[in-house]
Amino acid sequence: MVRESNTPTGIRGESCLISLADGFYSNNQDDLTVARDKVEKKLGISALVDAAGIIGIFDGIVKVADATGIPLEKDKSIASKEIRLSLGINKFHPDKN
Amino acid sequence: MYENKYQVVRKDLRKAHEHNWGRLGIAGTWLDAETRVGIIKELRYSKDCSLCKLSKNSLSPNLVEGKHESLGILSDGMIEIIHRLRHDAARITEDWVNKIALKRVTDGEYVEIIAVVATVLAIDGFNDTLGWPRPSLPKLQGGIPSKKRPINAKKQLAWVPTLNPSDIGVGEINPYEDVRGVHIHQALSLVPEEVIAFFKLDAAQYLHGSEVRDFKKEYRALTHQQIELLAGRVSAINQCVY
Repeated sequence: MVRESNTPTGIRGESCLISLADGFYSNNQDDLTVARDKVEKKLGISALVDAAGIIGIFDGIVKVADATGIPLEKDKSIASKEIRLSLGINKFHPDKN
Repeated sequence: MYENKYQVVRKDLRKAHEHNWGRLGIAGTWLDAETRVGIIKELRYSKDCSLCKLSKNSLSPNLVEGKHESLGILSDGMIEIIHRLRHDAARITEDWVNKIALKRVTDGEYVEIIAVVATVLAIDGFNDTLGWPRPSLPKLQGGIPSKKRPINAKKQLAWVPTLNPSDIGVGEINPYEDVRGVHIHQALSLVPEEVIAFFKLDAAQYLHGSEVRDFKKEYRALTHQQIELLAGRVSAINQCVY
């Protein structure tokens, strides 16, 4: 479950890129079709193709991390300590952080 | 691959997909070609498995019992691993790896299954996002699994044995030739050839390791910020805490 954020990041095309990722995981194919059209219109076909690459590879790589139990590197763990605490992420896999 | 789409698919991306897809039809380190292609078939078929959907929606995946809807061409152990990876990887635990997965397949086979699944998800996911047809199954090219295990691989970092970058044996394949060897690179290192292949695909679909923090230059039609926004969203949807 990913909650909607009301705080835009200011990244160009943020809304349509997030819709594309959400559409990929949606059970409704129309969501993905609509999002795809928006990304192409807003950012162009090359950006849409690159976005598809990112979605695909991260859909794969998260499985690598989850299935092997690979932990965060120490430097990343230190750098992300506060944000992980505030999000409560450590409650899920304390052994990996 | 991607005939008639040469205008929109970068050459390096096309080449990476052709290479990575083709090698799924060749024997790997632990799995023969038929099994690797069988994993593609089962993974695609598993999309609508009722047991997986029930399990995914339950408080704990351990509360649900039953039989997966499967093609039946792979062992029950492989089917369990493939379905779990596809539907509920975020709730995989060390206990599950030791008591379920590694009771049914060897650790080398387990790591290679993960690599094949991740590769198929990456390439199918690319095509699905674009609304393009998925690639047809790779041609079976046979071969014999080499069954070469890195001599210094050991359980030290993860739930499966890994190879520390400083422990590569003389004459052995170096899985870290083109990557830094950070933890995610070490995750599949029990099967070095899969590290090399998967992170070549990663470099083409995401960014090469040397490009990730090079903020002076944009390497894609998306900026670093746009790329990380997408990557973060996908990781969050998958509840990946790495």
